[in-house]
Amino acid sequence: MARSKLKSALDNEKGRNIKLQKQRKLEKTARKRREKNRPAGGDIGDDEEGGIALAEEAATQVNGKSKKDKKSTKSKKNGISQQEPEWETEESDEDDLEGDDDNDGPERHGLDLSRLEDSDSNSGDSEDDLEADEEDEEDDEDEEDEEDIPLSDIESLASEDKGDVIPHQRLTINNTAALTSALKRIELPYSKLAFSEYQSIASDEPTEIPDVEDDLAREQAFYNQSLQAVKDARVKLKKEGIPFSRPVDYFAEMVKSDEHMGKIKQKLVDEAAGKKAAAEARRQRDLKKFGKQVQVAKLQERAKEKRDTLEKINLMKRKRSGADITTTNEEDLFDVALDTETKDSDRRRSGDGKPNLKRQKKDNKYGFGGKKRFAKSNDAESTNDARGFSHKKMKAGGGAAKRLGKSRRAKRN
Amino acid sequence: MASVYKTLSADGSRDKDTAERKNRQRVLILSSRGVTYRHRHLLNDLYNLMPHSRKEAKFDSKTKLHELNELAELYNCNNVLFFEARKGKDLYAWMSKAPNGPTVKFHCQNLHTMDELNFIGNCLKGSRPILSFDSAFEKQAHLRVIKELFTQVFGVPKTARKTKPFVDHVMGFTLADNKIWIRVYQVSESEPGKKKSAANGDDEDVDVAPKKKAKGGEFDVSLVEIGPRFVLTPIVIQESSFGGPIIYENKEFVSPNQIRADLRRAKAGKYNRRSEAQTDSKVRRGDLGLKTHGGRKKEKDPLSNDVLFA
Repeated sequence: MARSKLKSALDNEKGRNIKLQKQRKLEKTARKRREKNRPAGGDIGDDEEGGIALAEEAATQVNGKSKKDKKSTKSKKNGISQQEPEWETEESDEDDLEGDDDNDGPERHGLDLSRLEDSDSNSGDSEDDLEADEEDEEDDEDEEDEEDIPLSDIESLASEDKGDVIPHQRLTINNTAALTSALKRIELPYSKLAFSEYQSIASDEPTEIPDVEDDLAREQAFYNQSLQAVKDARVKLKKEGIPFSRPVDYFAEMVKSDEHMGKIKQKLVDEAAGKKAAAEARRQRDLKKFGKQVQVAKLQERAKEKRDTLEKINLMKRKRSGADITTTNEEDLFDVALDTETKDSDRRRSGDGKPNLKRQKKDNKYGFGGKKRFAKSNDAESTNDARGFSHKKMKAGGGAAKRLGKSRRAKRN
Repeated sequence: MASVYKTLSADGSRDKDTAERKNRQRVLILSSRGVTYRHRHLLNDLYNLMPHSRKEAKFDSKTKLHELNELAELYNCNNVLFFEARKGKDLYAWMSKAPNGPTVKFHCQNLHTMDELNFIGNCLKGSRPILSFDSAFEKQAHLRVIKELFTQVFGVPKTARKTKPFVDHVMGFTLADNKIWIRVYQVSESEPGKKKSAANGDDEDVDVAPKKKAKGGEFDVSLVEIGPRFVLTPIVIQESSFGGPIIYENKEFVSPNQIRADLRRAKAGKYNRRSEAQTDSKVRRGDLGLKTHGGRKKEKDPLSNDVLFA
């Protein structure tokens, strides 16, 4: 509120200038509205013509305003109308048109007439005018405030209100004369100096950056500006015979120490390594996805190969022995092979491979399964079986190659 | 004897000329108390890039900035680059021509030091930069003043004590979004023939091009960024050094405090609106007689059982 006080003080000092402006503004808006309303009001017709005239008269007579008229705007307008006689008629017209908008002609007549009757004597007018004036002033202030509110208040307004508000800016000071004189005071005598003394170059055309938030484009613009400057400066410096580029064998202290540069290099290397590792990891993941399928396929293939070779061998055997190939059944062949196979596999079992009767009974009673315990433990036969033994494996160097870890095995395949 | 002769012979004729034509600049770099490590690193980076600068201990006052003039005089500096930290997060940079101004105050944003930017560019410590300005700097009076200040503060004079020969970096000042963006690049030159032949195997083209360029002594110039990066928003220009009338003020600058406060207020506003709406609805419900306590009593329905069968 300190602001508004200040403002009012300022207004007082300036006189009623602002008020006058305000009135002008109101006047203008009123005129506009009238023009807008004219076509609409025109068709309502001739019979109201007289009414309007009457109303006009009434308005001019009453002018000061009745107290019953509670509309503050109207009272304000009347206050103004007394101050500015030229505006008066327009104002009254304006009132009428408002009435037209209401679109109840006869009632309006009545109202006006009643107002005429009820209107106070002239003695009340001066007071009313004063009041109106005060109101007017207040309104002025309010409107000023509305025109520019502090930026800080915008946030608290509802979002739909935001669009209408112009945030007030701080007072601009831009004393060009003082600035130029200050510039003249400190400016280097560029015309007398060689370029190599100051080495500053302004670009020919302004660097245009459409979107400051767009990092890439922005930096590119900066880069281009500097690059152009370097090219220009290089030519100028060469002309003046100033050494420009640093020879390769000129070593001196740098802005960034070797340590710092090492750190940067390390960072770059790390970054590159990280990228590579990530790519590798992704490849591995993909491989793993298909690895299982590949493995199954491979096993199947192997089994098939084995089957084929066995078949071939059997066929050959039979041919050798001179047996009749055509008569032998495929199924028989299969059975035989199966038999031999099974016999081979449980050679450990004694006898014909069947457990004793009691066991069979028990199996029948409790279901097949047999004894699980001691199945892997050694017995006399397994102890005597020395096929798995190899003295080579016991020697240090010559033994079987060590089985690699899983990851390395996976890599090898 | 030789040196005596040299000085004697040099004194006579040349000195007047050269004194007039020389660009003598010395910059006092210092910060206020309460800078963060990033601010300090930025200051160090600038100090490293400016061999004509003199670093000073942190300045202990934020109000008596005019004392900086005396400090500058003490160290024979005619420029002051003063970083003022506020609240341990906002950085303001003051740039001033020491004895009689003008002074420009900037708000420093988006600062990234050499340390945190892992750019591979590097340059000689003490080599003189080329200063590249956006042409927009010529358009307005205050920008011209700022440009002149930048030229004198960041440009390394030829005669500065710790300078090294060769020009191997460029400093870019660009105006975008009413802010000044500052970048530092290394200038790296390579013979175009080598690069091209590496890039494509086409013999004829490659052979012709470098010969032409070699005659003109041209190289392919490319830039590699060194760092640091920062953005300056001009706020105020004062006529004299750390004092005097304000001759320019940026109306579009909103202080970071204001922004933070607005954000907070926006949040608070949300709560206020909600609670207001809540009370509103309470009152409305009370008026409609929908509440047991307070508000209006519900009108008796003339057709309710109580009335009909009383």
